[in-house]
Amino acid sequence: MDPLERYLDQVCRSIGGPRPLRDHVRQELREHLHDAAARHRAAGLSEEAAVAQALAEFGRPEQVRSELEATHGHRAMAVVIDTALRWKESTMRAKWLWATGAHLGLAVVIALEALFLTFLVMFIVPKFKKLMADGIIDPAVLDEQGAMWMPHFLGNLAAVTGNYTTHLVLGAAVLWGLFEWRVKSENKSLMRLTVMGGAAVKLLAVIVIATGSMVVSFCLAMPAMGPMARPFAAEQVATIDTSVAAVEPAVAKQDWTAATEQADRASAALARLTVGPALASLTGREPPTADELRTQTRSAQDHLRAVRQAVAEKDAGRATAALAEFRTAFAPVREAASRSGK
Amino acid sequence: MDTELLKGTLSLLILSLLSRKAMYGYEIAATVHRDTDGAFQWREGSLYPALHKLEQAGLIAGEWEEKETGRKRRYYRLTATGRAALAEKTAAWAELCRAVNRVLEVSNGPA
Repeated sequence: MDPLERYLDQVCRSIGGPRPLRDHVRQELREHLHDAAARHRAAGLSEEAAVAQALAEFGRPEQVRSELEATHGHRAMAVVIDTALRWKESTMRAKWLWATGAHLGLAVVIALEALFLTFLVMFIVPKFKKLMADGIIDPAVLDEQGAMWMPHFLGNLAAVTGNYTTHLVLGAAVLWGLFEWRVKSENKSLMRLTVMGGAAVKLLAVIVIATGSMVVSFCLAMPAMGPMARPFAAEQVATIDTSVAAVEPAVAKQDWTAATEQADRASAALARLTVGPALASLTGREPPTADELRTQTRSAQDHLRAVRQAVAEKDAGRATAALAEFRTAFAPVREAASRSGK
Repeated sequence: MDTELLKGTLSLLILSLLSRKAMYGYEIAATVHRDTDGAFQWREGSLYPALHKLEQAGLIAGEWEEKETGRKRRYYRLTATGRAALAEKTAAWAELCRAVNRVLEVSNGPA
């Protein structure tokens, strides 16, 4: 483009006001610059030097533009278009850089997805299968919820990746080789990116479905653990009751060996009761909540520790008092166990 | 000459030049250059925002004229409002000059 017109572009492109006004301003400045250049040519300068001199005398384009904008206002859309055009020019010059970046980015995404999928299939899916085989995740519950396709999907995924990984990788490599060899289109880079993008999306979909299948199956089947834990919890409560009931007569007879044995049994049963979902299995829709039962159990453990200490020191009075406190603290747990058993 | 001083006087200069006859932008710039023996070192691009501001204020009016050479030029002429404004500005400028000169004379002694 003519340097004079390029200069006028820089000066006039963001001036506000209606188009006829902007055209007039541009025309007026153009006439001035032509006059000034003609004067310099007449003084002996070359065409190029005359125009350069005229532009230099007129001022830097951003200064003139700023003053004109102060008079006529600022055209916001022109600034947006100007910025977009400059961005386009700069990005077109760096086209190869963008294309390389996109290829590398997608390749990294695909590699990470493949790695994660391998990890899922090799380490997580077998554990999931074992949980199903052990009955922790109950297929009947999944079937009832219409979610049996999830473990089937995981099974098929493991089978396909286990048996056909080599075929899949080789097939993809052959197709890629054919593409690079045969395709001569000027859009080859875009086509490659499209295929890579499609592969990345498909792998992501497989990962999402696989992880979702495991999480959803687990969430659906885990409530079954509650009923499984309840008899265990009730058994521990019964053991605690029996042992604690045996401690008191042993203390009264000062049979410290029997008292120690029974207190230890109660303590062990109480410890088992606090592990896993046992306590939570004793809760229902009505209070106490699992948290309240845990608090009571901790308090009962403290009092039982005091009982064992008193028995060890052969202090019958302290042992009896601690037993009474234990019973008070443990009462809500016992009530919850008796209620849940009904 | 200090361009800051020129900035404050540019509109006065333009109105004064246009009181002689209608002129186009380049002609105004060339006349300022000629009449001041090149004392004003300014960016010619500053002339047009000043002209457009005066036109928006109704002090001057612009009109395109096509020459026989095919060149189009926008001629500016002084309006009645502009003429009154020129009188005011000229009086204010004279007053300013007198005031500044009085200070300079007291500081430096009479010439």
